[in-house]
Amino acid sequence: MNIRPYSPDQEDALQEIANVAMGQAGSSLATMLDTFVVLSVPRSRIVTVDDVGSAVAELVPQPEDATIVRQAFFNKLRGEAIVLFGKDGCRDLADLLGMDEVLDEKGDEELLLDVSNILVGAVLNGLAEQLETDFGYSAPSIMASEGSVRDLLQPEQLGWSHALLIEVNFALEARGFKCYLVILMPEESIEMMRAVLDRLLESL
Amino acid sequence: MPLPVLIVDDSAMSRKLTIRALPPEWDVVVHQANDGSEALEAYHAGKAHVMFLDLTMPGMDGFQVLETLKREGLDCFVIVVSADVQPKAEQRAKELGAMGFIKKPVKAEQVEKVLREFGII
Repeated sequence: MNIRPYSPDQEDALQEIANVAMGQAGSSLATMLDTFVVLSVPRSRIVTVDDVGSAVAELVPQPEDATIVRQAFFNKLRGEAIVLFGKDGCRDLADLLGMDEVLDEKGDEELLLDVSNILVGAVLNGLAEQLETDFGYSAPSIMASEGSVRDLLQPEQLGWSHALLIEVNFALEARGFKCYLVILMPEESIEMMRAVLDRLLESL
Repeated sequence: MPLPVLIVDDSAMSRKLTIRALPPEWDVVVHQANDGSEALEAYHAGKAHVMFLDLTMPGMDGFQVLETLKREGLDCFVIVVSADVQPKAEQRAKELGAMGFIKKPVKAEQVEKVLREFGII
């Protein structure tokens, strides 16, 4: 299957939609942690499934140390939302939430799952609202603790030919904490999204 | 004479959405800038009596534009149009001299409300 890249207009529209969705997610995170969240400029690209692992790894510094939480979403558009946390992500979050006690492994995981759930939920809601669709999504699960990102995104696991990647990241001004949210969508959703973006652009 | 209005956003779609949300009867000439430094250039060229300013942009962002304008002695109405909807983002933008703060996706009613509030229309 051959997938054309998005036109500059389509890409611009997609990134702007991602920007608005990310803003809503950032606001949820800021409320949860009672701190200011610095938002990134969203990035998007289409890659063949063989390149998904390396494309995601490129977006993230030190991918080998990341803890990854994944959530599948589905409906008219479907795919995977993954949130990557750096090595000290959990400690930073626990500090901000005033959790003084040292968390055990289970507590760590719960915290990362909660934060992921908030971010992914807000981003997907934001996308759905603007694209006039809705998503169902699975509960978040930890894909790997401090494992390699590349290994987790193997082509045979995904079973896709291509993937659209949309990346946004959230940094906390108060400390070094940063996490990355990547949305991956397979070929038929890439085309569906193209049609939605075209409609949106025509309406301008 | 039509009022020079500057729309600053790195997204062409977002600029179009903002332009579309301007009151139709408002007598303006619309200029556009793609990022913060283009915005300042246009402002210095007298193209921005009113500026609609995005916050998150690559290169010079909206906060930096506000800081620069404040340092130089602000001489335009800045209305922030932002995807960053944190209360602290609004607070900061206003501390830096922004008059209005509109949340994306922008709606015509919000634009009109802010413009009326400050007696611009």
